[in-house]
Amino acid sequence: MDLTFFFYLSSGLFLGWSLGASDASNIFGTAVGTKMVKFRTAALTASLFIILGAVLAGAGTSATLSQLGSVNTLPGAFMVALAAALTIYWMVELSMPISTSQAIVGAIVGWNFFAAKHTDITILSKIVSTWFLCPVLSGTVAVALYWLLKKTFHKSHLHLLRQDTYTRIGLIMSGAFCAYALGANNIANVMGVFVASSPLKPLSLANGFELSAAQVLFLIGGLSIAVGVLTYSHKVMHTIGNSVMKMSPLMALVVVLAQATVLFLFASRGLQHFLLAHHLPPIPLVPVSSSQAVIGAVMGIGLAKGGRSLNWRLIGQIFVGWFTTPAIAALVCYISLFFLQNVFGLEVYR
Amino acid sequence: MFHISLSMFSHTRALENKIDLFHDKLLDAAMTFKKAVRVYLEEKRSDDFRKLSKQIKQIEHDADNLRRDIENNLYSQNLIPDLRADVLQLVENLDKVINKFDEVTYQIYAEQPDIPSEYHSRITELCGLSAECAENMAKASRAFFRDHSSVRDYSQKVYFIEHESDLCSRKLTETIFDSSLPLANKIQLGGFVTDIADIADTAEDFIDELLIFTIKQDI
Repeated sequence: MDLTFFFYLSSGLFLGWSLGASDASNIFGTAVGTKMVKFRTAALTASLFIILGAVLAGAGTSATLSQLGSVNTLPGAFMVALAAALTIYWMVELSMPISTSQAIVGAIVGWNFFAAKHTDITILSKIVSTWFLCPVLSGTVAVALYWLLKKTFHKSHLHLLRQDTYTRIGLIMSGAFCAYALGANNIANVMGVFVASSPLKPLSLANGFELSAAQVLFLIGGLSIAVGVLTYSHKVMHTIGNSVMKMSPLMALVVVLAQATVLFLFASRGLQHFLLAHHLPPIPLVPVSSSQAVIGAVMGIGLAKGGRSLNWRLIGQIFVGWFTTPAIAALVCYISLFFLQNVFGLEVYR
Repeated sequence: MFHISLSMFSHTRALENKIDLFHDKLLDAAMTFKKAVRVYLEEKRSDDFRKLSKQIKQIEHDADNLRRDIENNLYSQNLIPDLRADVLQLVENLDKVINKFDEVTYQIYAEQPDIPSEYHSRITELCGLSAECAENMAKASRAFFRDHSSVRDYSQKVYFIEHESDLCSRKLTETIFDSSLPLANKIQLGGFVTDIADIADTAEDFIDELLIFTIKQDI
């Protein structure tokens, strides 16, 4: 393995860094913004559990992306990840609610087109259906949790200060769970396209514990997300906590738990095996957008509390994003692959 | 993590106790005030009255210390960040009522007003109503921290008793100014009546705020 591997991996690492910088705020934004949890505690918890989730449970969603398109050369994987990153940058400039998952799926489809590979429509429709399911499910879970917690607190006659302490502990614990689920679910966006072409070898650790080649890749990806969390999420967390969405700590706890549940449902192989074993319809293992899970949860609670109007503009933007983000990513990827192959003479597919 | 949780709980429990103790001080002040006025009407500035007057002063002093402690702890331990401003305002306003009990008692101690016996029953009634208002206000405030459904019940009582205290103070003021007492006496007694009734008014204002804070929290 030479340094060129890390050069090609850089686009994925950049995606990981930006995911860490932005998505950690979905987990701990309100808790840090409202000063319920210190940034240092939040960043360290998020980093550790994102890495754990990525390494221990990241295989499921990556397998689904591989089924959609197995990018089999490093330059190809580099460009797929870069195309997704460029699309995200452009969508952020347009202030659209972006999803890394949608960008990477679009870029993989772009690679499929360029390499004249077959795109499995069943897999694609399975992935697209989760984009719709994610905010709806998150909203439903949030409403159920909100009423449950509210009723529990109400009936328990706990002192306000005791409620505050429980909420604070709950925010840290649910944040850790959410970070684990985020790592497990979203590592596919960062490293999934590199799995097929990675030259990494399995890594033996102490006590006979061994990381597979894919897990080593996920560890590197997890570290890049953690660097994003530690270096750049501070500002975003304060913005989320103080200006974008005003939430009470209890509401923040519910939103984080709903988000974690949804990310976990779409990433857990154990749950999938359990459902299959009991002849129940399995939940597809697909990387979903944590931002859209948060938006779904906030809107769900808003509706349950008797909010008269939905933010149709935001819903419209998300809906438009489901089509435009993958379409733009596919187009950017297709054009970039053409340049990479014909100008630089690199092999972008086999 | 375990250590952090334990220390968080011990801090919280200590502050909960202080808040409970602060409410106890308000109840003590109300009861002592009622007793002090009764003793003054019967014995004027006797030793018993002096003791009760000192007792209220001590309650007010202790309440001030507790208020400062509560305020400092809320900020230094960064507790209930979303409700801190509301809680601080509540504590400040509860303290104002304790101060009023102390002020009126001291005024009686210092000025030693001559209160004709025909006004005793009405003044006792007015003091009882003001003290009852403050007691229910303390109960409503305590419920704000634990049981929102009871806040409304106690608040309703405060509104009712405050209205009664208004009627009582008006009647008393009219009777005083219709009497043949010297004008200086009339003005002095009228002032006392206004000050005593003012305790119930302050409790009513407090309840208005408390209900808004409760609604805010329930949304």
